[in-house]
Amino acid sequence: MAHPTESVSLQDKNYFLMRRLHSLLGLVPVGAFLCVHLLTNSTVLAPGVAGGEFQKSVERIHALGPLLVPVEIVFIFLPLLFHSLLGFQIVFNSESNAQQYRYGGNIRYMLQRTTGILAFVFIFYHIWQMHWFGKPLGGGAFELHDAAGAATGAMTTAVAIQQAWWIAPVYAIGVLSCVFHLANGLWTSLITWGITIRPSSQRTAGYVCAAFGIILAIAGMGALTGFYNYDVKSPPPVVGDGHASATSQGL
Amino acid sequence: MITMSKSFTVNIQRQDDPHGPKYSESFEIPYEPGLNMTTVLQRIAANPVTSDNKDSTPVAYDACCLEEICGACTMVINGHVRQACSALIDNVLKETTGPIDVKPMSKFPVVRDLVVNRKAMFESLKRVKAWVRVDGYHDLGSGPRVSPHEQEDAYPLSKCMTCGCCVEACPQFNDKSPFIGPAAVSQAILFNANPTGKIDSEARLEVLASRGGIADCGNSQNCVKVCPKEIPLTDSLAKAGRDTTLYKLRQFFGR
Repeated sequence: MAHPTESVSLQDKNYFLMRRLHSLLGLVPVGAFLCVHLLTNSTVLAPGVAGGEFQKSVERIHALGPLLVPVEIVFIFLPLLFHSLLGFQIVFNSESNAQQYRYGGNIRYMLQRTTGILAFVFIFYHIWQMHWFGKPLGGGAFELHDAAGAATGAMTTAVAIQQAWWIAPVYAIGVLSCVFHLANGLWTSLITWGITIRPSSQRTAGYVCAAFGIILAIAGMGALTGFYNYDVKSPPPVVGDGHASATSQGL
Repeated sequence: MITMSKSFTVNIQRQDDPHGPKYSESFEIPYEPGLNMTTVLQRIAANPVTSDNKDSTPVAYDACCLEEICGACTMVINGHVRQACSALIDNVLKETTGPIDVKPMSKFPVVRDLVVNRKAMFESLKRVKAWVRVDGYHDLGSGPRVSPHEQEDAYPLSKCMTCGCCVEACPQFNDKSPFIGPAAVSQAILFNANPTGKIDSEARLEVLASRGGIADCGNSQNCVKVCPKEIPLTDSLAKAGRDTTLYKLRQFFGR
């Protein structure tokens, strides 16, 4: 038995509030970020110079300059960490019986917890692999520009994705886990907050959330395909001559 | 003239006392049309001899109304929680090619064999004040009028017999989680809708918005699927979500 400590009772006291915060943060900003992230990345498929549109989108984000890191920490990393930590507790406090009671809702309940864990593992792998945080640990592959200021966003991403045969499948599983977790989480949040009550409204919301998930999954898989098929042998296309100085100087 | 009659096998999970080990016993039951699980347990009591011809003891079980009204005989038959009295053997046999598997509910402490102690459910009902408070025994006159529309909403919820099916199937109702379960949440919603019961609505919402309340629901929606009384439990759970949202907002911003 767990020894009752101060922190446990404090958590029990604020549990309702924490769970509602968990629900809210999963949608905004974490879920909203996932949508923006996947849609931005899918621009790698845009016609024209390969990765050109993608480079422009990423440079718009990097135009935040020195503000980008605090924004990432406060609006993405910390909410994600809170959502993950409470999420792990939710997983450990549940006893799935989807083998015994094979109802659609029960299977989604089990998948919500499974994809939550998969998404957590994948996101930290992804951050290590792509983000400059990961550089000291051998990751940090993503570079917006090379030393000469040439655009390399799509190039470095593609190189990282194509490094080994198992990376693209891992990305596919990871991205689809994130998308399912968000789409199903959106559906359950409508119940949690008391917006959809009757089975008929929950069914309608189910169709809407499923459509949302499918669109997001297509965007994600499109982005992955784009990076997977990106020709890393040819020199990186140079676009946006003025952006390099803008991002290095910040706002 | 005696004809060869069909028979079927029932595997029963047994336990002699609350702390005793679990063990399984098989019984061979001659088939008769129209049997239900309770009559099978009666047949075993009449002749408690196992399939391998060992003398055993009658299987302890709860039963009361025998018409799916009281919920006393709830048990897990072929992995599916339900009442023994309404579990017709003709239907149960169609679910499996092997023996019928009978176990006590897993979410409650076993008293003996198939008898469990459902005290946790009644404690939850006490927590949410699942009753209409009256001041005394003097004549209070007629109560407030209830519209047919409100009656139609309330009646299905009032059919709950605290049988335990919903919590047995609920993945959130377990030793690691303090969840009070769908039945208690639904009763809180029922009595909050009652014009006289309303007086305690804030006390009930406070419980629903505390640890073990609606925040511990995981939306697996098994409860509504297994409920023998077809109570719209997920409607109640979502209403509890809405009512606690509004209650907390009112509390924060002032009425």
